[in-house]
Amino acid sequence: MTFFSSDEASRILAAIVESSDDAIIAKDLRGTILSWNQAAERMYGYSAGEIIGRNITVLVPDDYREELAGMMRRVAAGERIQHFETMRVTKAGDRREVSLMISPLRNGAGDIIGASTIARDITQRNSDVAQLRNSEARLRSIVESAVDGIIVIDATGIVEAFNQGAERLFGYGAYEVIGRNVSLLMPSPYHEEHDGYLARYLRTGEARIIGIGREVTAQRKDGTTFPVQLSVGEMSLAGERKFTGIIHDLSARVRVEAQLREQAALVRLGEMAAVIAHEVKNPLAAVRGAIQVIGKRLPAGSREGSVVADIIARIDTLNALVKDLLLFARPPQPKPMAIDIVTLLSSTATLLAEDAAHRDVRVTISGTAPRIMADAELLKIAFVNLLINGAQAMQGQGDISIVVATKDGACRIAVADSGPGIPAEIRDKLFTPFVTTKARGTGLGLSTVKRLVEAHQGRIRVDSPPGGGTTVTIDLPFATL
Amino acid sequence: MFAEIFPVTTRNPAVLRVLIVDDEPLIRWSLAETLAEMGHVVVEAGDGASAIRALDDGEPFDAVVLDYRLPDSNDLNLLTTIRQIAPQAAVIMMTAFGTAEVTSGAIKLGAYRVVPKPFEMHDMAELVLQATAPSPS
Repeated sequence: MTFFSSDEASRILAAIVESSDDAIIAKDLRGTILSWNQAAERMYGYSAGEIIGRNITVLVPDDYREELAGMMRRVAAGERIQHFETMRVTKAGDRREVSLMISPLRNGAGDIIGASTIARDITQRNSDVAQLRNSEARLRSIVESAVDGIIVIDATGIVEAFNQGAERLFGYGAYEVIGRNVSLLMPSPYHEEHDGYLARYLRTGEARIIGIGREVTAQRKDGTTFPVQLSVGEMSLAGERKFTGIIHDLSARVRVEAQLREQAALVRLGEMAAVIAHEVKNPLAAVRGAIQVIGKRLPAGSREGSVVADIIARIDTLNALVKDLLLFARPPQPKPMAIDIVTLLSSTATLLAEDAAHRDVRVTISGTAPRIMADAELLKIAFVNLLINGAQAMQGQGDISIVVATKDGACRIAVADSGPGIPAEIRDKLFTPFVTTKARGTGLGLSTVKRLVEAHQGRIRVDSPPGGGTTVTIDLPFATL
Repeated sequence: MFAEIFPVTTRNPAVLRVLIVDDEPLIRWSLAETLAEMGHVVVEAGDGASAIRALDDGEPFDAVVLDYRLPDSNDLNLLTTIRQIAPQAAVIMMTAFGTAEVTSGAIKLGAYRVVPKPFEMHDMAELVLQATAPSPS
């Protein structure tokens, strides 16, 4: 330890004060500046000669005078003020943000005679912080405004961030997901296996998705699933491994692809149906003709005669099937004429009533609509199909109500039966050809109706509430054909 | 005997001469049997070339029942030829898969009717009678 004389000590202290990077200023209780170091000169622009003897208020912007008076009172009362952030003004008139430490100055008797202030310029630091805040806000707004879902998880799969895009895609609020395992967003079996994947990756570094990305299936809050492109990046934040997943919704693309596939399939089916139609109908016609001639030669009322009649009936069934297939696979181009839809529906209902199997089905038609441009023959086939479907759904007994109305520039025809409704397991496949609930059905009925309605630029929808009763709604535009 | 000397004038107008053109023997047979039972004279042809040969020589036909698709014909040219060499004969076409274009094209070229297969033998025979009935003037 070295001891200094009091003179030496004063000199050393003065040197320390002079060399400090912080401004060090002494003032009396009235605010008169008593000392002023080089850092103060650098910070405020006044030399010691200029400022000593003047009042500290020259450094204080007008709007901070009151604050200064308050601080001086506190210091006069013996209080020490630390890290007080406020505003000062330089000789050139620039405002500087400063952090102050103000301590009372005492005389030998211990009386407070003034204050020492250590001031640090924090203008730059504050601007850095503001910039940081700004850039964070910018990044945050980029993340939040992204259409894609962005999710950050930790190494155990716990969700740490969930942007608005993800909220939209999954139907969860961020608050519902953050803190929970990300497997919540996956259907089985991924739901159960995700923790294992993550653990294996952390252990072995063997990546299946991380750093690669692939198409996966995601699960919404309501339990429905949808196809997504998932890209996962890895990062290290403060020594912790995190994973960022970017989720791009592929539903629209997958839907379009499915539509294109369906269209291509229909085109192929149409070509096939044309060949089948010829290659099947021709021999059917030959067999039917020959057996008919032979049948005529059998004794009237003979067993053989009735067998021949049965053979002809089977051939006609086969022929009807080929015809249905052809109608579905290659619906003819509609020949539009102005038709009154209610008249058409009435004659269709009459047609249904003529069949003994539908004796106990009551069809009521209500409402009206202006004439539409449509092919009456094709629409009749569509309505016959719908009525027969309804009648069969009700086991041949019940009410079918048809309501005609005008809706959004289209003629709306709603056909409602009072049957038990459509089993849930085939509700998604109603328009898929060859899917049927009937023991003897081709599964072409509704698919053909849809094709015929679409040939008229119309739309068809089927509603089958769990309580029973199915409503088929068809919208046919007034003026597109 | 008379027929050999006065082939045209002695023909019984109630007896029709019908040419059946189809490559399916069962169709030819069924139709021929049905028409023969009604007393008409039937000649069969399995393709377009033999149909033209049949029309070129011998007695004229009152009607031709013609399949749209034959081994040597898959368009309406055969119909045009038949209409040229046998303008007096009514032509009824048969088709297993006729588009609207085929039907309207055949009618334009003078076919009496286009009948989709399969059909009732009796209906076809009726149609032949109808097609050959003298038009009311």
